[in-house]
Amino acid sequence: MWTRELTARQKTGTLLSVLILLVVVVGVGLLLREHGPGNMGTGFLQGAAVGLVAFAVVLWRVSRAPDKASSFERAFTSSGDERDDDLLTRALAVLGLAAFPLTGAAAVAIGLGAEVAMVMFFLLIAQLAVGVVAYVVIARRS
Amino acid sequence: MRNEVRRLRLAAGLSQRELGEQLSVSRQTINSIETEKYDPSLPLAIVIARHFNTTVEEIFHVDP
Repeated sequence: MWTRELTARQKTGTLLSVLILLVVVVGVGLLLREHGPGNMGTGFLQGAAVGLVAFAVVLWRVSRAPDKASSFERAFTSSGDERDDDLLTRALAVLGLAAFPLTGAAAVAIGLGAEVAMVMFFLLIAQLAVGVVAYVVIARRS
Repeated sequence: MRNEVRRLRLAAGLSQRELGEQLSVSRQTINSIETEKYDPSLPLAIVIARHFNTTVEEIFHVDP
């Protein structure tokens, strides 16, 4: 079953979570800017900003018209029905399984002399891609 | 699992969206159940059966 709109409790919880996340992200970003190598802190803050904007867009879409939002958006905001939750669970399970070989391959690449920052970047992109592809494929099949 | 949801919905003159709204699930979920790609949980199956004033066994079948 799904809730057609976010309840007051869900809205409060989400707002609190976002505020805590903001404090943590800004704190870590400032720490990295102060003590991290190169532009790591700035890059971290830019990435976090993009992620937060994307999350805000998802929240806005789910609040305004949950029936027009995607399964992923509803499941991600805990306002989906049982099928939405099932899809997300199965996609995350695939991602979890894929994380082992991907991380292993990244470790081997670093061991062979690849630049660590580049390997970490590609590892993150690969995991995101696996999650998205798994979700889309599972959603089409069920 | 085979089911009679589509037949019952059409007999009631409902669209997938309308039935989804009445059952508090998404239109995609109704579509997935009707095309037999998704098997609903037991609670949802009971809600569907009650909605159409019938029993779960009359809506959902498993081929022997």
